[in-house]
Amino acid sequence: MFGGYVDGIIILLCINSIAAMGVSLLTGFTGIFTLGHAGYMALGAYISSILIIKAGFHWLVAVLLGGAGAMVIAWLVGIPTLKLMGDYYAIASIGLGEAIRLVLENWQSLTRGSRGIPGIPIYTSLPVAVIFFLVMATFMFFLINGKYGRAFKASRDDYIAASLLGFNTAHYRVLSLAISAFYCGISGALLAGFLSFIQPIMFDMLKSTELTAVVVFGGLGSLSGTLIGTTIITLVTELFRPISQYRMLIYGAVIVLIMIFRPEGIMGQHELHPRLILNLFKKDKSKPAEGGKM
Amino acid sequence: MQTLLQQIINGLSLGSVYALIAVGYSLVYSILLFSNFAHGGFLIIGGYICYFMLRSVGANIWLAGAAAMVGAGVSAILTERVAYKPIREKTNITLYLLIASMGMSIVIENVFVILAGGRFRALPPVIPTSPVNVFGVATTSMFDILSLVTAVIFLSCLQLFLTRTKWGLAIRAAAYDLRVAGLMGVNVNRLVSIVFFVAGVLAAVGGIFLSARYTLYPQLGLITIKAFIAAVIGGLGSLPGAVVGSLILGLAEMLTAGFISSQMRDLVVFLLLIITLLIRPSGLFGKEVKEKV
Repeated sequence: MFGGYVDGIIILLCINSIAAMGVSLLTGFTGIFTLGHAGYMALGAYISSILIIKAGFHWLVAVLLGGAGAMVIAWLVGIPTLKLMGDYYAIASIGLGEAIRLVLENWQSLTRGSRGIPGIPIYTSLPVAVIFFLVMATFMFFLINGKYGRAFKASRDDYIAASLLGFNTAHYRVLSLAISAFYCGISGALLAGFLSFIQPIMFDMLKSTELTAVVVFGGLGSLSGTLIGTTIITLVTELFRPISQYRMLIYGAVIVLIMIFRPEGIMGQHELHPRLILNLFKKDKSKPAEGGKM
Repeated sequence: MQTLLQQIINGLSLGSVYALIAVGYSLVYSILLFSNFAHGGFLIIGGYICYFMLRSVGANIWLAGAAAMVGAGVSAILTERVAYKPIREKTNITLYLLIASMGMSIVIENVFVILAGGRFRALPPVIPTSPVNVFGVATTSMFDILSLVTAVIFLSCLQLFLTRTKWGLAIRAAAYDLRVAGLMGVNVNRLVSIVFFVAGVLAAVGGIFLSARYTLYPQLGLITIKAFIAAVIGGLGSLPGAVVGSLILGLAEMLTAGFISSQMRDLVVFLLLIITLLIRPSGLFGKEVKEKV
């Protein structure tokens, strides 16, 4: 539509945003820190590619099944592991992500191992990516602003108080993980249809770190922050491609600097809203901008 | 039978190297209550200093090892001062420290990608690898025996430091409650620096042995994931737990490699983690975590 390169960047932006929204739901809105979500992207990508190539499924069905497959696995994994809190889950999530990658790497007969799967039909065109993004962003918007969203946020802010109020926090934590895995699975499946080649190493721990870092960068607990963060990081990644040697160094340094100077991320817990922008231009700083909103 | 014994010795040797890394990581966790993902960075700093002292300066292994330990210890202190101190003084949310440590680990790794290049480097043969006959029942390499012995020496020194010195007492007090230890007159910033120095030194020793066992490359720090897992299996923040967890992990890895398939060894590690978390989420030696309301 705008020429191949720009099209490609927009598609990549949509794919990255879908995965980032998933991680944002889990880390930003439910307060569960993950370092293994690339594993769910890998599941989505592999399930859909294998269904298309070996079983001849229509791509749309395969993509949805890829997301659903990631969701089911996450659900099964989440029931035991989400009893863990904080750093324990972070370490466990690394283990889970790596375990998924290792299974894909060693299940030679099905996945061709580390050689990857080539020749996946290209189905992620610009309209497909944009429509998927819009539908999933809308769903996420209503999810976090609705009854479930309030339950997620309550179990993030104080899970003991939330469970005293009658929220089944364990259930909501697992549900949040399952939905976030669905988003990452869809994102992975769309990535497979965009690159037409997938390989386990594409979904290593660095990718997981990147997913979480983008969410932190945008602001934990802000959907618009997540999208802004993803856009900035994706575009900066493209801009820095000529000096890719220094890209990761700058990237790591930026994460540290954000944590030191603005740990709440670009947007904090605020959403992009006309009122917020008006507040920015008001001289009166005595009133906290949307301070009461949690 | 002979293979079994051999694999057990190899497993203990690998596990003891993990233990050096896991203990430092667990020590930091017990004081500041966050997972220091930059710990792998200290390991590669130690490895590269040792490599360049041996290759470019022509030092012997003792000098190179000492330089690597001091260098990694000092970088650990600097990392804490630059990245963690401003955060822990401003807030008590440990998540921010966790994310900052993730950033630091990316920074350290990529500093070495830029400075030393991403290629694999073999350490000069400074650690003997000649075969050794153990009591006539099994054959193993000198390297495995040496790494086991070194790890035992360093861990014993750490134990002595923690139980027999004033700063050791302060560190044990801070592991219960850092703030109260501060109120009792402990210089908290100096204590945290000492803890990071010790962690850096132990990581450097682990780094030298790992880079001799495998090769040296900027992503070698990722192997600390296994040390983290060992620490979680043993119980986060517990030093005996970290040692026992590491030995279990080393044994499991080597026995899998020896008797099933070496491709499965990493998978077995993660499987062990998941089983531990299912049966005993706080780890073998972990305190039952009661969150305060």
